[in-house]
Amino acid sequence: MKVPLRWLRQFVDLPGDDPSEHAEALSNLGLEVEGMESIEASFSGVVVARVLEIRRHPEADKLGLVRLDTGSGEQEVVCGAWNFEAGDLVPLATVGAVLDGGLEVGEREIRGITSAGMICSEAELGLGDDASGILVLEEDDFEVGDDLAASLPYPDVVYDLSITPNRADAMSVYGVARDLAAFYRVPLAPQQGDVVETGEPTTAKVVVEDPEGSPRFTAREIRNVGIGPSPLWMRLMLRDAGMRPISNVVDVTNYVTLEYGQPIHAYDMDLLDKETLVVRRARAGESLTTLDGVRRTLHPDDLIISGPKDALGLAGVMGGESSEVGERTTRILLEVAHFFAPDVLLTGWRHGLRSEAQARNERGVDPELPPLVSARAAQMMADLAGGEVAPGFIDVYPNPIVPVQVSLPTGEAKRLLGIELEPAEIIDLLTRLGFAVEGDGPFEVAVPTCRPDVTRPADLVEELARLHGYDKIPSRLPRGPGEGLPAWERRRRLVRRTMTGAGFYEIMSYSFQGRSDVEALGVPEADPRRRMVAVRNPLSEEQGFMRSSLLPSVLGALRVNLARGRSGVAVFEVGRVFFPSDDEVPHQPQRLSFAAVGRRPGARWEREELKRDARDAVGVWATLAAALGVEYTLEQAEEAPFNPGRCGVVSVDGSYIGAVGELHPGVAAAFGIEGRVALGDFDLGPLLEERTPWTFRTPSPLPPVVFDLAFELEESVAAAALTVAIRQAAGPDLEQLEIFDLFNGPPLEEGRKSIAVRLTFRHAERTLTDEQLVPVRKAIVERVAADLGGRLRGG
Amino acid sequence: MALLEDLHRLDEEARRRLAAAGTVDEVDTVERDAVGPSSPVAEARRSLRRVPDEERRRLGRVINEIADGLSAAIAGRRRELAAAEEAARLQAERIDITLPGRAPPLGSLHIVMQVWEEITDIFVALGYTVADGPEAETAFYHFDALNTPETHPSRFESDTLYVDHGDDPIGVLLRAQTSPVQVRYMEQHDPPVYVVSPGRVFRRDTTDATHTPVFHQMEGLAVDRDITFADLKGTLGHFAREFFGPDERVRFLPHFFPFTEPSAEMLVSCFSCGGAGCRTCANTGWIELLGCGVVDPNVFEAVGYDPTEVTGFAFGVGIDRLAMIRHNVPELRFFFDPDLRLLEQYR
Repeated sequence: MKVPLRWLRQFVDLPGDDPSEHAEALSNLGLEVEGMESIEASFSGVVVARVLEIRRHPEADKLGLVRLDTGSGEQEVVCGAWNFEAGDLVPLATVGAVLDGGLEVGEREIRGITSAGMICSEAELGLGDDASGILVLEEDDFEVGDDLAASLPYPDVVYDLSITPNRADAMSVYGVARDLAAFYRVPLAPQQGDVVETGEPTTAKVVVEDPEGSPRFTAREIRNVGIGPSPLWMRLMLRDAGMRPISNVVDVTNYVTLEYGQPIHAYDMDLLDKETLVVRRARAGESLTTLDGVRRTLHPDDLIISGPKDALGLAGVMGGESSEVGERTTRILLEVAHFFAPDVLLTGWRHGLRSEAQARNERGVDPELPPLVSARAAQMMADLAGGEVAPGFIDVYPNPIVPVQVSLPTGEAKRLLGIELEPAEIIDLLTRLGFAVEGDGPFEVAVPTCRPDVTRPADLVEELARLHGYDKIPSRLPRGPGEGLPAWERRRRLVRRTMTGAGFYEIMSYSFQGRSDVEALGVPEADPRRRMVAVRNPLSEEQGFMRSSLLPSVLGALRVNLARGRSGVAVFEVGRVFFPSDDEVPHQPQRLSFAAVGRRPGARWEREELKRDARDAVGVWATLAAALGVEYTLEQAEEAPFNPGRCGVVSVDGSYIGAVGELHPGVAAAFGIEGRVALGDFDLGPLLEERTPWTFRTPSPLPPVVFDLAFELEESVAAAALTVAIRQAAGPDLEQLEIFDLFNGPPLEEGRKSIAVRLTFRHAERTLTDEQLVPVRKAIVERVAADLGGRLRGG
Repeated sequence: MALLEDLHRLDEEARRRLAAAGTVDEVDTVERDAVGPSSPVAEARRSLRRVPDEERRRLGRVINEIADGLSAAIAGRRRELAAAEEAARLQAERIDITLPGRAPPLGSLHIVMQVWEEITDIFVALGYTVADGPEAETAFYHFDALNTPETHPSRFESDTLYVDHGDDPIGVLLRAQTSPVQVRYMEQHDPPVYVVSPGRVFRRDTTDATHTPVFHQMEGLAVDRDITFADLKGTLGHFAREFFGPDERVRFLPHFFPFTEPSAEMLVSCFSCGGAGCRTCANTGWIELLGCGVVDPNVFEAVGYDPTEVTGFAFGVGIDRLAMIRHNVPELRFFFDPDLRLLEQYR
């Protein structure tokens, strides 16, 4: 909301000349100053002159010669506009004057006649948009010979205020002035509601069918108005307050709305069916063309103003075209009403409207304002549009709204704010803001009707704090009991740090996905990732569902970086995914997904494998499991979207928690990725559970017995199966098992492979001998043969 | 004495050969020839047996002097040459140490997550704990329990994203703040409560410079017997100084939120200009950082706390915004861009 400082000064005598000091005061009061704009006349060298005579230019029919009294003599200029007459006051830019936009006025010869200067339109002076004719100045406000710039209310400052939704009272110049008066301890000028009524009583009728929607509805007739422009001072004030001047009658409604915060609507009374206004809910199928030219189908919950039959406007939101005030209007019916705020809010929302009237009505306007504002606006119309206010003010207010009483306990301010306020101070602060206080603790407080937001002691405490000043409240640093980081957060940090230690970059992506993302993963029809939670009001089709997997995000990150010329990329993401459930909210477990593709860093000139593959994923998982202190089993498996020959599933404590391996090349292609993708996809929840502490084991000082065994096996036998078999047969003295060689090809037959292991045995209390391990070695060989069909090589 | 003359000559020759030796092997040859078992020195020692006693002692001493002197010279020369040989060998295996090392270079935590952890830890150090809750939340926990009127615009489908779940079309939504976590926490814990809830939140905004439909927030809550607005000021001022630096100034202005009364907005002095006014702070010297306030009694009633017994304060701060401010990130959308040129900066 834009508020010119000169408007505020009409109601309150602000101390000091520094506008930024008042901006500070406004911000401290909770009326946030979002911007402060200085306004100055954008021209110089323009004087007020009186038109003495207008003649036709002898050489050009369309041009006139205008003889002017400049206050210090007479002067003639050439002019192309004809919208003024002899006797009018007009702005004369003399030679050397500078107009809006920087144009310097010089002597010009026009068709043989020298024009020393020019008379100006409001557009040429930067005072408005109208460039169609010369600006005619009001007789009462200007004197011949005056410097025009000095006669304008400039320089001035306009505050752009952001008013919070609870402050209906501050949506007006007067309301802002009321807070400033309280702040500076200066008087606030009274509201002006004097009106002179003449002629026959009004014949207008009002029927309020819905007093809940409109607790108070007033109407007043103004006759014999002449529609024209409003005076320059009002046009400038409206412009500075951010509104476009339209015509005297419409400008008055806007001006008084800004002034007191009470919206006003003016009807052309001659266009009203039976001169009647009805307040009611809309009927199904009813429609209305609002002032913005949009034809709207009304909702049965919409509160509307209608005639005996047809809808006229959306109550408190926007009027309709059918009764709009126009150039030929002579009779006005002025509506000033109090509407139930939520009705206005919902009606406006249903029609996607945001009007100045709505912004005020939806916050809840003071129900005491309508009679006063009606009188103020009617009298202004009479003054500015030459009309007469008809007797017979209509005020339908069946159930007057009574001021709220709040009892403020003595110690409540201290309990909530932490400052000691004397009873006299509390009474002073509240009284300055317009609250009536009785007693000196507890305080019985009558809340003015302009403050519907204040209903409880806490609300009063906020008023005290706001006026006393938040900056006067001291600071204190309390401490909590100190439970520290929960285990799940500690372990989640460990997961993420381990991933970065392994060279992976953490990414963050939106929690949405489209159907095409899951399609691209190529998971089977029955896969739970295809049962997605839909967003009911998504921003786009690609964001139509909640993500059921992090894989589309991490794979997308690979594609993006490969496309930007990277030779190797490794990323991970930790986040929630969503599945339908029968609980009160969808099932939303946390997951960890990682993906890496391309060259390993720094490997190019060495004889290492250059590109990442499934074993990188297995290695990262092993590192992660070690960091988390998690024991797991890894089993060969076929699971989408992994490469069926290069995929393993991971179980912890006997439960499946995820899979590692390589992405299916078809899926990689669908994501636009070239090369093998090392991939891991895990349920994070089980990994975040705190593990029981491990128990210390003293290393044995005795020497070990070490021997190697090489087994020939079918290709299909998993290394993990071999190590499991060996461990089971080896007994408790096996300290370490290491796979140190793996090969296939000659001399082995096709489809066979050799795995060599080094076994280290040690006993805690006695030295083992080779002889003692002969039966153990035999047991291992037999076990591998029996379980896996393995044959000891060279044995 | 011919023997002595022979030995002295031998000594001279051996020393000459040692000086000329270029390798440890050559030194070994000199040693064998000069003091080895079949050397003239050994020969001379053996011949001593035939020499009379008084003469033998004198001769023996001379022989030993020569032999010890030679042995020392040999050892010295051997050390010299061995050192030179090792130096040559090390020179030969010289590498370019400036080539990349063999451990994978460190990845990075996302900058938003780093800030998330950092601000969480500021409060953990003050004795707060951390709570987590669902991102898809019920309208009850998100709106009703937080004193949000039925007609509040934040409930509109133009502002809030709703998901299909159950029968009520506006029953489950994507949370726009993590305050519902605090409601759930209060339902399960009696006061005192000191808790922060960092988390992912949503709003129905299309992506532009300062808006993304997904962002991150940390809400904090302290409820105890004697918590006041003064505690709010002290705690959040401490937070600002911990995060931005010890000289950071803060300012509290009245504001409005449905779940706090009185409510405030906290501004921090512009770190970019120090408060003098610049483009970052729109020439005000201050940056709006977070919303906060004294917990509204209706919120306590919704979770079964007695608002006449306990008081509290609450606040909510944008994590992405903190990261943007401190690291001068111009647009929010960069945080959701997986370009490695961005991620590599987040170390």
